[in-house]
Amino acid sequence: MKLIKDKVAKLSFVALLITVTAAMFYAPAASAHGEKSQAAFMRMRTIHWYDLNWSKDAVPVNDTMTVTGKFHVFAGWPETVAKPEVSFLNIGIPGPVFIRAGSWIGGQLVPRSVSLELGETYEFKVLLKARRPGDWHVHSMLNVQDGGPIIGPGKWVTITGSMSQFTNPITTLTGQTIDLEHWNIGNIYFWHAFWYAIGLAYIGYWVKSPVFVPRLIAMDAGKADSLISATDKKVGLGFAIATLLIVAATMQSTNEQYPITTPLQAGLLRGIKSIEMPARTVAVKVDSATYRVPGRAMQMTLTITNNGDSSVRLGEFMTASVRFLDPAVHEDDTGYPDDLLAEEGLTVSDNSPIAPGQTRTVDVTASDAAWEVYRLADLIYDPDSRFAGLLFFTDESGNRQMVTVDAPLIPSFI
Amino acid sequence: MSASQSAVRSRAEAVKVSRTFDWLICFTLFFVILGGYHVHFMLVAGDWDFWSDWKDRRLWVTVLPIMGITFPAAVQAVLWWRYRIAFGATLCVLGLLFGEWVNRYFNFWGWTYFPINFVFPSQLIPGAIVLDVVLLLSNSMQLTAVVGGLGFGLLFYPGNWPMMAPLHLPVEYNGMMMTLADLSGYHYVRTGMPEYIRMVEKGTLRTFGKDVAPVSAFFSGFVSIIVYFVWHFFGRWFGNTAFTKGS
Repeated sequence: MKLIKDKVAKLSFVALLITVTAAMFYAPAASAHGEKSQAAFMRMRTIHWYDLNWSKDAVPVNDTMTVTGKFHVFAGWPETVAKPEVSFLNIGIPGPVFIRAGSWIGGQLVPRSVSLELGETYEFKVLLKARRPGDWHVHSMLNVQDGGPIIGPGKWVTITGSMSQFTNPITTLTGQTIDLEHWNIGNIYFWHAFWYAIGLAYIGYWVKSPVFVPRLIAMDAGKADSLISATDKKVGLGFAIATLLIVAATMQSTNEQYPITTPLQAGLLRGIKSIEMPARTVAVKVDSATYRVPGRAMQMTLTITNNGDSSVRLGEFMTASVRFLDPAVHEDDTGYPDDLLAEEGLTVSDNSPIAPGQTRTVDVTASDAAWEVYRLADLIYDPDSRFAGLLFFTDESGNRQMVTVDAPLIPSFI
Repeated sequence: MSASQSAVRSRAEAVKVSRTFDWLICFTLFFVILGGYHVHFMLVAGDWDFWSDWKDRRLWVTVLPIMGITFPAAVQAVLWWRYRIAFGATLCVLGLLFGEWVNRYFNFWGWTYFPINFVFPSQLIPGAIVLDVVLLLSNSMQLTAVVGGLGFGLLFYPGNWPMMAPLHLPVEYNGMMMTLADLSGYHYVRTGMPEYIRMVEKGTLRTFGKDVAPVSAFFSGFVSIIVYFVWHFFGRWFGNTAFTKGS
């Protein structure tokens, strides 16, 4: 019995070692930003990112690229998520691999938080300057106070070169041109080393004599007063006076060296300009919508009315950054990320042009593995079982018109 | 040798053992304090100490000394009332600063590549020396709390200003004015930290015009007095030996 126990113990130990070793050797880099783990309803019913463009797939260090596009702040914003009254246009990258050289919403620079309106569509642009070589997933991203990050689609971008070559020149309002990457670092090291040396010198004075044992014995013997000498007090006083004088002198000299400084800047930017969208000429009513779990497909019955003067066809359904296209109507040529693009994912029962003034009821199916891969199928477990997204209609001239849909969703398990 | 016999046979040997013991304790104490104080400080002062674009003239000045005087007060209580050693506060802040630098250099710079000029720690050394010296000269907890605690709060901002001033130079950037610290926060992307999380320049000190930092420093000093008392008693309680046999 003991032999068996020993063997089990040995084998367990070996298994533990193998597990630990395997874990050490297999440590893959985290390459995305958890976008798939966000609740499906949050991605479907908050911010809809579209017409996105990443200006480059590869960029050398110090060179720039842009991420541009539009985002629609969904009018049917879920009650469980705080409204975007205080929001921040961020960029989803793994730390400062790029620097954010600029970000704009509606042409306004937005280094600070902004207030956005439900139902409005905004144009945005983020200018990035490459800093650290590697392959990085670059996402559009909007943070909402009390609501959390709402991440948009991401695309792989490669930065080439060497980070040691990166520079970040800035000209201040006092006329100096500095490299923000290295500015003030020597000064910081100097003052920290300086004060650390003073602190060590102070402790050094005390530890040059025996510290713990004799002092404890003297304290226990009631001789506490004998432990602090007049010299100790003089030295301590000297350190305190020197400290006060150094602090005062360095404050003074710093103010002389930098007579113009300003406080940190903060505050909410209001009045961000949204896009003035042309009047919608297509009206869509969702008669019913089901999500067929085994088929990874959403089926909608839509009644579409064309109130415009040009016939239209449904070319795209987009939700949670996944685009389902009918290739007969619309093909993507923007280099949109493959994993988010179902090029033949949209089927319409009758997708012939809907003439001006015509109303037609059609069955629309959006099917692709992306429902599962991007965990959108999880919306059937939401407490408020609804879906939402954008429909894009294309008219005879090739103009696209966006229409939002927002309706209850019935799951189908068979 | 029986258990009751001494391990040392001469005075010279006793002194040698005592000194070895001193170094062992100092070394251990430094790193134990470093660990505890560092975790405490990261949890309660956190972002105000991590990023230069959080180091404003209101909350940074207020929060850091208040949260920073805690461990120095407690360690002072142990070292002074049990050993008459007057470097408790200085030892604490040196430990904290060492830990912070290890963190900033290896984690913030070495791992995630934020430039050091954006993530360097604040330093509390001038206030700690004054705190220790007031206790040394007065041998009074009350006086140390009132004079030393106030000094701890007041010395923080000027003690750090030589490092911060160059980051408060103004810049015009795409039509907006920022400081270099603001610009660092904007440039060096923190995906998990949207701008609205930054708690800077919030408060109701507008009637003091631009001279807000001294008011914040005084307020910080006053609260530091109270915090000193509380943590001093923590230290006394923690340093008692009532639970050991024969004490």
